Amino acid sequence: MELKHKLHSWQDEGLIDESTVEKILAFESKQPKPLKLPLLMIIGLIFFSLAVFSFIAANWQEMPDVLRITLVLSVMWLFYILGHFSETKKIGHPILFRLIGLAMFAASIVVTVQTFHFSLFNSYLPWAIFIAALGHYWYWRQFPYAIVAFMFGLQVLFTSGENLGWFQWGAFLVVSVVWFYFSRTGISISFSWILLFGAGLALWPVVEYENVLWPIWTLFAVVAFTLSFPEKERIARPFYMIIGGLQLLVYLAVLGETQLSFIKMNVVESIALSIAGLVILGFYYIRFKKIAWISSLGLVGILLYDTSAIGLAILAEVVALTYLVNEHRKDRSLAPGFVFFILVQFVLYFIYAWGRMDVSLFFLIGALLLFALSGIAWRINKKKAGVSS
Amino acid sequence: MKSFLIPALQTLMIILIALSFFATSWFGEEYVLRAEPYDPYDPFYGEYVLLKYPDLKPSDSAPGGDIFFSLKEGDDGYARIDRIDSEPFWGAIQGTNYGGQITTSQLEQYYVEQGTGPGLEEAKDLALTLVVAPWGAIRPTFLEKRPEQN
Repeated sequence: MELKHKLHSWQDEGLIDESTVEKILAFESKQPKPLKLPLLMIIGLIFFSLAVFSFIAANWQEMPDVLRITLVLSVMWLFYILGHFSETKKIGHPILFRLIGLAMFAASIVVTVQTFHFSLFNSYLPWAIFIAALGHYWYWRQFPYAIVAFMFGLQVLFTSGENLGWFQWGAFLVVSVVWFYFSRTGISISFSWILLFGAGLALWPVVEYENVLWPIWTLFAVVAFTLSFPEKERIARPFYMIIGGLQLLVYLAVLGETQLSFIKMNVVESIALSIAGLVILGFYYIRFKKIAWISSLGLVGILLYDTSAIGLAILAEVVALTYLVNEHRKDRSLAPGFVFFILVQFVLYFIYAWGRMDVSLFFLIGALLLFALSGIAWRINKKKAGVSS
Repeated sequence: MKSFLIPALQTLMIILIALSFFATSWFGEEYVLRAEPYDPYDPFYGEYVLLKYPDLKPSDSAPGGDIFFSLKEGDDGYARIDRIDSEPFWGAIQGTNYGGQITTSQLEQYYVEQGTGPGLEEAKDLALTLVVAPWGAIRPTFLEKRPEQN
């Protein structure tokens, strides 16, 4: 009725003529009316389901094992069937029903495992939901399933921890690689790339190789793999740049806080990592310009020794500053480079200067440092404003 | 109908998990272990009793860390350790020998009917009936107060 009223007022104002009004009304009357459930029926359904659930809860302990499992499975089926009809009849959002169905699948695993007095610790649950959510995503191509798969993929990595064996690790790697390979959308590529990197990190406890350089090895390996998919590399780029930056900061902080003699280093491995860094740098000349920044991590191995430790601070400063200058010269967004630059200064200042200086001198230099940084920021902004105007 | 493929696969998985437990009962041998409860209740998953087993104490010469063991019935009707080895053998249960006590994840807790946990905990002397499959899988089936012995 509202539409009719509006059309007539437009007609009265001379915006449209009578034949257009009739055409629009005729078209609208042929459109399918959205189905609306009456409010009373919705309230009735809510009360009915509450009654069913409380009846089940009251009799839960007395139920035979098979009946309990069947019951939860039937609820799961109910939601998938509702999802199916919601899709075919175009009522509501089928994804909501299917997500509840997926949650009921998780519930049926909990009930089954509990019925047989098994611990849920280290159980099939995260794996099952990870695979099931990926199955949903592969079939229906809706991103909420990818989010669920990603969360449970992380859970597999976190809960397995030390207990991750070769078989589980291999399976996780295969699933992550397959997901990454078949990913088409940004969200899917991002999630699968992070899981792939997580799989790389999880390898080291499996091989029981204690070493401080493993995060860099992992990053190099995953980045080199990513380069075989140039169109996906572009999407994964922010992730490996952020992880690389964080790694440099963490090494810097750890080196400042730890007695150097506690860090067990292996000369051969340090040199091997530098060579790997050079290989990664090689990709810079082929196509991938951002790789040069990552390759600088190859030097970390030879900069963790007593005699070369100052080199790590210099490396961090040089990388932070040249990255910032380069981004400024290319007229790209300066925010990430500037944040990284400030973080490097703070790590150096707080970890290296704290305890080596008188408190008043510490704050005086801190104030001067902040002053200098804000001056740089102001100058960059001014120049940028000058370029754009 | 193709959209029901995924729930069907999920159902199949649940059936397989349940079947693996039932298979333990069909093919396994039943033992009763003396058990003692400690620190029950999980607010998230419901009430259960954490159990330890006085008879699952290995000898000093037994290997430590990850171990494999089998059970036999003792003269008093309660199960004892039969064989313990650091390598897997046919019918062995996988466990850990830590601090002179053998633990295995399937035996550590038992979910009980709501409200019965404190009673079982007070009783202290419990008996757990379990079935051990020839392939080493375990299925705990019944937890009760241990009958008085002379």
